[in-house]
Amino acid sequence: MAMDALDYGDLSAEELRHRLEEAEETLRAIREGEVDALMVRNPRSEDEVFTLEGGSSYYAFMEAMDLGAAAFDETDRLLYANKALRELLHLPGENVEIAHLSAALDEEARLLVYGLMRDARDAKKTSEIRVLVGNDELHVLVTAAPLHVGGNRGLAVTFTDITAKVRAAAAEASERAAHSIIASANEAVVVCDVNGVVTHANAAVASIYSGNPIGRVFGEVIPLTLPDTTGLLQAGDIIALAIAGTSVQGIEALAPEAPRVRDVLLSAAPLRVGSDKVSGCVITMVDLSQRKAAEKQQLLLMGELDHRVKNTLALVLSICKRTASTEETVSGFQVAFSGRIQALAATHNLLADRSWSSISIAEVVNAELDPFVGSAQARLSVEGLEALVMPRAAIALGLVIHELATNAVKYGALSQESGRVNVTVSKSADEPFLSVDWVESGGPLVQQPTRRGFGQTVITRSLQYSPNGGAQIDYPAEGVRCRIRIPEEDLVRA
Amino acid sequence: MQDQPTAASPDPLKLVLYIAGQTPKSVAAIENLERICANMPGRYVVEVIDLKKTPQLAREHNIVAIPTLVRQLPIPIRKIIGDLSDREKVLVHLKVGE
Repeated sequence: MAMDALDYGDLSAEELRHRLEEAEETLRAIREGEVDALMVRNPRSEDEVFTLEGGSSYYAFMEAMDLGAAAFDETDRLLYANKALRELLHLPGENVEIAHLSAALDEEARLLVYGLMRDARDAKKTSEIRVLVGNDELHVLVTAAPLHVGGNRGLAVTFTDITAKVRAAAAEASERAAHSIIASANEAVVVCDVNGVVTHANAAVASIYSGNPIGRVFGEVIPLTLPDTTGLLQAGDIIALAIAGTSVQGIEALAPEAPRVRDVLLSAAPLRVGSDKVSGCVITMVDLSQRKAAEKQQLLLMGELDHRVKNTLALVLSICKRTASTEETVSGFQVAFSGRIQALAATHNLLADRSWSSISIAEVVNAELDPFVGSAQARLSVEGLEALVMPRAAIALGLVIHELATNAVKYGALSQESGRVNVTVSKSADEPFLSVDWVESGGPLVQQPTRRGFGQTVITRSLQYSPNGGAQIDYPAEGVRCRIRIPEEDLVRA
Repeated sequence: MQDQPTAASPDPLKLVLYIAGQTPKSVAAIENLERICANMPGRYVVEVIDLKKTPQLAREHNIVAIPTLVRQLPIPIRKIIGDLSDREKVLVHLKVGE
């Protein structure tokens, strides 16, 4: 109020009492509604008139404020709703009643507002409601506070439209979520603006570009070449397509300057935030290094497989031809040929189980002797067969063992109960091969064969692909002896 | 501002009515004062000050609430706050008619 600071010490007791009476009278007059204007001091320390009721300035002030405001009397009758509130809730321009306000609110909002008004008779209460106005859902903060006008008690209720704030908070939360999604992605994710300048890049980008790409043109920091597009399409075109609104997916690209990951699968999609307008693009680069390595391995394996199949077919053809030339009957051919193909298949199975890596001599010998082992197990002894050999030696060894076993079962030590076969492996440091000795004993007297059969050819020739390999078979009367030499280049050192 | 000199008296009253433009209480105060003055014996001078136009003049009599009628003379100064609708109260405060 526009009272000057007075030096009350200079005033007489009577004067002070008079001033006090005057102040009390002023308060009484205000309380009892005998005045309708007050002198107030504005922020510039100037006195001005503040009209309390009925005056144009107070009304104009209420009408001009952008906060929705309503006044209710003690019986919850709506006395006044200002322009901002009428516009906010689409209430009629004049003669607004509480029924209009009720109609503007749905059941839930209505209960909240009336509950708030009931609770606010003694102290200010605030709550948030949602109001559907037209097609828009508005978030409104409602505050009700007790209002004392003269001797009357009522309620002042304000309605603040916080939709923009709520939406901004939601947008901020969603942006934070988007940031964490980008940051958590395993793939390299780069976000560019419409000029192709990087605005976001996640941690995985470090495997493609070692510096900080933010604020720099994507094409300059991460130059990419597209080997499969014959030069017609370039990385820059893909980014431009995405910014223009077209998604491009799964193009293999090479990042020649990348510190770690050079082969990537490039995708680019337009970035639309809020509206349909494209505000940039999102580029993802999936690490293809492992896939590329797997593809190379696959190609290598396919080449190897092709080579092996051809070799095997040639071998089968040769076995067929030589078996036919040494067998006199069709049934004899059938038995001998099947046995040999099965011997070949047994070693193949072993090698396939080991992905065509090395296998032990024991495995080859066991696989080849398996058809005969049932009757011969007790008479077979094997020693030192743990050495590992390469596939080509394994196949040759398998065929040789098969021929030796077949021969032993038909004519040699395994044809009689008393016969024994001893297989021993030995290696001399000064010899370029590993010896596998097959020694038969206790069988019928051995006679030098009168003609050279296929078995014998297989045994002597199979390991001759290397000058260090080969086999020597002898026919002493006490039992067949064979020394198989596995070339040392086909041995795998443990 | 307006002056309203009336009938003769050896000890004239000097009254100042502070109003705020055309607010209902201000208008009522002017009308009520005119009616009171019409039947008031003695000489008096009335000055009406519109604080909407000259708010700085409120300082002279420390005016807080409007309307307020001030009896400037004779001293001591007396203030009557409100629209002066209670004629008896106004006359008592002005000590007119004693």
